[in-house]
Amino acid sequence: MVRFPGSKNSTHHHPADPLLYTELLPTVWCHGCGIGTTVHAFIQALKDSSVEPKKVCVVSGLGCTGKISTYIKLRSHSAPYGNVVGRAAELKKENPHWHVVVFLNNADFLLTGARDFIDEAQKGTDLMVLYINNFLYTLNKTQAFPMSPFIRKSVDGKFDLPFNIPHLAKTYGARYVARWTPLQSGWLKHSLSEALFKREFGVIEVVSPCLMFSCDEGRIQDAGEKMKFYDDRSEFCYGENTENLDLRKEGKIRVGLFIESGRPLQEDHS
Amino acid sequence: MKYEIHILEERCKGCGICVEICQADVLELSPEANEKGIQVPYPKKPENCLNCGMGEMFCPDFAIYVWVNDDEEEVRE
Ligand code: SF4
Ligand code: SF4
Repeated sequence: MVRFPGSKNSTHHHPADPLLYTELLPTVWCHGCGIGTTVHAFIQALKDSSVEPKKVCVVSGLGCTGKISTYIKLRSHSAPYGNVVGRAAELKKENPHWHVVVFLNNADFLLTGARDFIDEAQKGTDLMVLYINNFLYTLNKTQAFPMSPFIRKSVDGKFDLPFNIPHLAKTYGARYVARWTPLQSGWLKHSLSEALFKREFGVIEVVSPCLMFSCDEGRIQDAGEKMKFYDDRSEFCYGENTENLDLRKEGKIRVGLFIESGRPLQEDHS
Repeated sequence: MKYEIHILEERCKGCGICVEICQADVLELSPEANEKGIQVPYPKKPENCLNCGMGEMFCPDFAIYVWVNDDEEEVRE
């Protein structure tokens, strides 16, 4: 029997419910935000992998991404002022058997977190960093900043390149580097379960649709269209050299797995 | 029905992602809004469901899932 339109009296539960504070749902994120899909992929990855949920610890920081630790029923910590990776490294040091997962966003990274990120990558601490890049900084729609690929111009009117997170991570010694959008949810899930299992510094960048972000064509407010925009613009480049992963204005969002176990997937890639 | 589609109305935000993503044309946004002003999707053609799990995977609010009814046979035309 199918209950229409909802199923308030349903005796079953959503498969993700055991790992969620269900009384807090629906989430605070805008309808169509990529963060929810990413969290869902993370929960599914946790269920698929052999990692014990008791040993997983989630650390998040500011802004929309910071709310993630509120909803997940795991050990969770919130770190202020962009000190997310630093806090996660402290937790890891105290509890070496934990799997520490860090949800970073642009504000956490650019405020003070970039230094910790680089430090821990160089030390090779066992952390899994999920970098949620929504091209936005403190919900500011027009201000250009080092992550905005479609609107930031230099003084001579040329478009500046944003940070290339996978390349940055690779350069400082991250041993697992991937980039996905929530539209490749299945791949994202697979990547997450792989990275959770491996005990090394891993970085997964998620280029997430944000309804506040506006590009030249204007702000897309319809969730379906927004998803389509990211789907059309992403290009599958498995094992691509991380140097070529810049997010250019007219270019594609290149997604895939680039570094595994510290080695590029295609050594002879030119 | 072998595959039951459950939509948790109290969680849904009516973004329509599940409707866009469904390849079997099962879901549709209901024409009438509920008390929160949200057009919650409903299974228009539940018999088409393939249990691919895409809508469940993409829903940002954990509001939709497919439950497999083991007592029933899968009917395909
Ligand atoms: S503002 Fe952007 S990142 Fe924040 S909840 Fe809305 S869509 Fe998501
Ligand atoms: S994807 Fe989820 S929140 Fe969006 S309309 Fe479908 S059930 Fe509702």
